[in-house]
Amino acid sequence: MTTPTARQTTVRLQGVEKRFGELVAVRSLDLDVTAGEFFSIIGPSGCGKTTTLRMIAGFERPTAGVIEITGRDVTALPPYRRPVNTVFQSYALFPHLDVVENVAFGLREARTPRAELRRRVMEAISLVQLDGRERAKPKQLSGGQQQRVALARALINRPDVLLLDEPLGALDLKLRKEMQTQLKDLQREVGITFVYVTHDQEEAFSMSDRVAVMDRGLLEQVGQPEEVYRQPATPFVADFVGIANRLSGRLRGSAPGDRYEIDIDGVGRRRAGGPPGLTSGDQVTVVIRPEDLHLEPAAAAPGAETPRAAVGTVLAAVVDVAFLGAHRTVRLSAGSLGHLVAVGRGQLAVAPEDKVTLSWADDDAWVVPAGPRS
Amino acid sequence: MSFRRHPVAGTMALVVIGYLWIPILAVAVNSLNKSSLMARWGGATAHWYSLAFHDANVRTGLVTTLEIALGSTALSLVIAVSGSLWWRRAPARARAIYDALVYARIVLPEVVFATALFFLFLKAHFPLGIVAIIIGHSVWNSAYAAVIIQARLIGLDPAIEEAAADLGATPWRVFRRVTLAALLPAIIASGLLTFTFSFDDVVTSYFLGGSSSSPLPIVLFGMIRFRITPEINSIGVMVMLFTVTLMCAAVAVFALVGSTGRGRRGAFAEFYGR
Repeated sequence: MTTPTARQTTVRLQGVEKRFGELVAVRSLDLDVTAGEFFSIIGPSGCGKTTTLRMIAGFERPTAGVIEITGRDVTALPPYRRPVNTVFQSYALFPHLDVVENVAFGLREARTPRAELRRRVMEAISLVQLDGRERAKPKQLSGGQQQRVALARALINRPDVLLLDEPLGALDLKLRKEMQTQLKDLQREVGITFVYVTHDQEEAFSMSDRVAVMDRGLLEQVGQPEEVYRQPATPFVADFVGIANRLSGRLRGSAPGDRYEIDIDGVGRRRAGGPPGLTSGDQVTVVIRPEDLHLEPAAAAPGAETPRAAVGTVLAAVVDVAFLGAHRTVRLSAGSLGHLVAVGRGQLAVAPEDKVTLSWADDDAWVVPAGPRS
Repeated sequence: MSFRRHPVAGTMALVVIGYLWIPILAVAVNSLNKSSLMARWGGATAHWYSLAFHDANVRTGLVTTLEIALGSTALSLVIAVSGSLWWRRAPARARAIYDALVYARIVLPEVVFATALFFLFLKAHFPLGIVAIIIGHSVWNSAYAAVIIQARLIGLDPAIEEAAADLGATPWRVFRRVTLAALLPAIIASGLLTFTFSFDDVVTSYFLGGSSSSPLPIVLFGMIRFRITPEINSIGVMVMLFTVTLMCAAVAVFALVGSTGRGRRGAFAEFYGR
């Protein structure tokens, strides 16, 4: 494994913008990808992630901005003069060439001497475990095998950056999981910077060192997977990277320990973490992940007819319980607060129509500005 | 279908097959018949074949035919390949118009194109002859080639050219090593096909040949107007064998490596269409 000694930047995008006529696919994008990093760009379809990747590869020219690769401005360079290689969603293998010739394509273009070419092709083929299939045509290979040919073909040129455009999209779930592990291992082994585009946040989280979330051409947040999940910058990120319980409220002020005080509608005053720079009086959304909600059977207080929630907790009715093997998902209805979701392990003994109290720790609540970002 | 159960349909089928094949069989048999009257079997001979081989008219006719077939094949392939590559990335409406023009060239009667070109060349003072015939044949030949090449093109992932560029190939290298190479089976198949079509054409050649150039089919046509000799039979058999061989090769190439996916609008059926 090769670790970059200094944290050099391999890919740098500065003020990059791409318009297709009226449509703005990517707007004022700044992005730094560190050498040796597994970097993912995620977002819904049409968010500009693939366009961004295609601009790094050189298939699209940005309307504005600069793209640098290892410190060199490549904005105006055609694809064949950039030190990047791409694994395409459709693999784009050459149908008339066999595995060896597909993999050797880049080396032949670079006029690599025959002996070296042979050695490196065989190395690449065994790196992706395709020994024995050297003379097969793409048509004769399974989806997973084609995917690995595409990977070997792109890696053999030892690019500074490997771009991957939803490379696992066409595979079935089991194979997908397998390939995720293999990809991550492979990246560690070759030490090449990976820029990976997917709409599947779980896939991105499981493999990436850092993740960028895009929506409608805008970069919403960049960070480590856990950071993005636990400390989303916008309501969009909160929803996109997982199930988010959202409570609305108004910011009251700061509290010690980088916390904010919030009056949550229908709940009361609570504390929560949040990004710096929020001001009192702001309309905010408090995000709580399903696994952070604690359920307890709601007992009626002595002398009272119906149970009531203590300040800072929520009273809810169980709508249904879905058993998912390792855990179960509980859908809840909480009156004016709408629908909430909690996730618990097996011991959670609740049934539909049970009344429960929901509570959470201050550490597990996170504030984001309500509404779309300006 | 057993003959016993469907006697009428069975008889009809036999009559039709006989009607189609007996004349061809007669030609083949008579090409070896010693009797020049062709009324009865007079013993076997190769005399007529040797006569055909030494006939100067037949020889120049054959050379002319080959020149025309090669020229028309080359021209048709250039038109079909470049047209298909444009068609691949063209907007939907433009593609529809292009398709209509291609099919029109296949469907409209050959004699219409031949007469139209005849008058055009006359007006433009373009000399009739080999070049005129080559252009005339390319009208329909390029359409057949286009249909076959497009069928192959549809099965190609549009990203393969990007993949090649990504791997360091310059635009010219991308075209040579990927686009053209991937299309090669279709190009060979349609080349063989257009060559055959051109080889046995009479109508267009007759209109555009003028007085100087006579390809083989026209030579044969001239010969039977005076007298039917067994020599014609032997030429017919040779032409037939040659044509059938080429057709088989075309079909084999197309079937073995040509079509990825199912081809478009029964391109395979159109293969035999003309």
